[in-house]
Amino acid sequence: MNKLLLVARREYLFNLRRPAFLFAVFGVPIFTFAMWAIIFLVVAAGESDAESIGTVGYVDNAAILIDPIYPTDVPPERFVAYPDETAARQALDDKTIGAYFLITENYLSTGEVESYSFTGLPEALRDNWEVFLLANLTRRLDPDVEVERIQDPVNMVIRAQDTGRTLTEANIPALIFIPLIFAFLFYMSSGTTSGFLMNGVVEEKTTRIMEILATSVTPSQLLFGKIIGLGLLGLTQMVVWFGAGFLLIHFGQGLPALNGVVFPLDLMLIMLVYFLLSYFLLATMMAGLGVVAGSDQESRQYASIISILFIIPFFLIAAILEDPNGPVALIFSLIPVTAPMTMLLRLGFSAVPAWQVIASLLILLFTALLVAWASARVFRWALLRYDVRTTLREIVNVVRRPSHEVAVSAAHSSEEVVS
Amino acid sequence: MSPEAAIHVEGITKNYGAFRAVDGLSFDVQRGEIFAMLGPNGSGKTTTMRMILDILKPDNGRIAVMGGPLTDATKDRIGYLPEERGLYRGVRVLEMMVYMATLKGLSQGEARKRSQAMLERLELAEHSKKKVSELSKGMQQKIQFAVTVLHQPDLIIIDEPFSGLDPVNSLVLKDLLFEFKARGGTIVMSTHQMSQVEEMCDRLLMINRGQQKLYGPVDTIRRQYALNAIVVQGKGDWSALPGVARVETKENGTKGYLLHLKDGVTPDNVLASIATSNLTQIERFELAVPSLNDIFIRVVEESKL
Repeated sequence: MNKLLLVARREYLFNLRRPAFLFAVFGVPIFTFAMWAIIFLVVAAGESDAESIGTVGYVDNAAILIDPIYPTDVPPERFVAYPDETAARQALDDKTIGAYFLITENYLSTGEVESYSFTGLPEALRDNWEVFLLANLTRRLDPDVEVERIQDPVNMVIRAQDTGRTLTEANIPALIFIPLIFAFLFYMSSGTTSGFLMNGVVEEKTTRIMEILATSVTPSQLLFGKIIGLGLLGLTQMVVWFGAGFLLIHFGQGLPALNGVVFPLDLMLIMLVYFLLSYFLLATMMAGLGVVAGSDQESRQYASIISILFIIPFFLIAAILEDPNGPVALIFSLIPVTAPMTMLLRLGFSAVPAWQVIASLLILLFTALLVAWASARVFRWALLRYDVRTTLREIVNVVRRPSHEVAVSAAHSSEEVVS
Repeated sequence: MSPEAAIHVEGITKNYGAFRAVDGLSFDVQRGEIFAMLGPNGSGKTTTMRMILDILKPDNGRIAVMGGPLTDATKDRIGYLPEERGLYRGVRVLEMMVYMATLKGLSQGEARKRSQAMLERLELAEHSKKKVSELSKGMQQKIQFAVTVLHQPDLIIIDEPFSGLDPVNSLVLKDLLFEFKARGGTIVMSTHQMSQVEEMCDRLLMINRGQQKLYGPVDTIRRQYALNAIVVQGKGDWSALPGVARVETKENGTKGYLLHLKDGVTPDNVLASIATSNLTQIERFELAVPSLNDIFIRVVEESKL
């Protein structure tokens, strides 16, 4: 087998079994599912709370609930009228009711309602009570107005002329969150795999395995074998996550939060292209810096600086979303390190002009190739430099040197110089 | 250049900035021999090895390995054990050996078969599923050597193979090296243990400050450094023998006397005198050949002057 593929295969299979990777791949979706489950359980628990206290009495001193109407959320048997406070008090003491509300005489001007119970009132019951009152107050103003319209007066349907997508209010949250989740997963995935890449290079250097590897494979075979192997690992991770997302949306249609959400396939394809290119850029940077770094610690410093560059768009989410086709969004779409995130966020919300997508992809591709080329040179040069700090000036010199002069440089470690 | 040479080195020089690590070195390593590279720390041994392996490029000079410049195919016929050693720590022993062997061109199946056989041989079979970090230092060194020879190379270049090994493991390694040589393999090794060179190596190259100091068959070099003197053991008045300039009592090691001979007198002359004399009774008679250790120290001291 080609040595490049051997390196790729080894990097893929070895890192696939790492606990850190398994956690990232399976832990993140499981964690997300668990969070969803908890949220739904809490909501469901809140709904049953309204019933936990039993029937609730009320005394209507303001005369607003004479012959009351019941909106859909309020079962007629929940609230029972009592003629005066003594009767309601008696019912509470007998435990016929769990609580009662006293609507004060000047309620219409003050909104004052007193509540009496032995146990305190659940939040859900109070909300239910408000809906009940609102419905009956509305009827006094205009019997034709539905209570739902008072509660939720606008149900916006956005018909975007340029994309042809019709957005209804129900899937707007999904459109905000799906790009965000994508961007986050994207960052996690390329961050994890390029981190593995850097760690691997640093390990091989500090343990001097590099020296044996250097007699078996060329520096380029080693570098690109690693990039390919770990890139496939990142793709594996994405496939698992997308699969989980697809299943969640597919089987979660019954849940109110996911109702009507469509898995955006077109967005996913563009994202895949961005992922591949930006992973390639990130990985070549990390590999180049990994081989220059003398230690784990030093490499982590480099890694964190690079990571920050890639997540700059996260700090600018507000600016990008407010004006998805504005100058800030455009500039960050064209800068290679910030382009993937920015574009993902923009593509979710609006139609990005095709020339911008193409320009952004071309700039990213060109930069990635340039960095890969430079990184391969640095990689070859720094392979066996131990225990010396490399300066930026040295790196720049190596990259600019004519190619036949770029050879492995073994820095003279202290031992080598003693003579 | 002789077609038989496993390695042919011609006038190589390597500078690290202003520091000249290797200075106009030329030598050949013949196929099937054990070739020692000697020299104090920092004398340029490792740099020379790295240049032979094409990890480093010489600034000047030419190197041919197996009859030509080092190609990918030639690299697969070489094994290298660097001085500063390491293994993938979190990886299982067998898995790592298989990976390293496949990088040298073996198929997965063949690499696995040979790794298992090698682990049996080194009495490490029961550790094959363990991670490298769980092994003792001695075991790790044996594994490292195993990785060097697993692909059955024609040439191995080993930097300080015995450093850190206990006597038992040194013996295991020595056997493996002789076995490798018996199969026709060529060995280039650097070591600081001169007794091992005397015992194992056919020829040697000694360098200091990047320059050649000694080069040739081990026996010839030792004889070159022989004093015009003999070592004797027995009874009698040695100073009375004709041709003996002065008598020195050997202090280190074996008992006996060191007889320094007058100019123009050969050991044969003295032996003849002893045979005919009745003043002396001989038990042992040998040429005063210095140990490589003595030669090493002498060469280094001389080059400081």
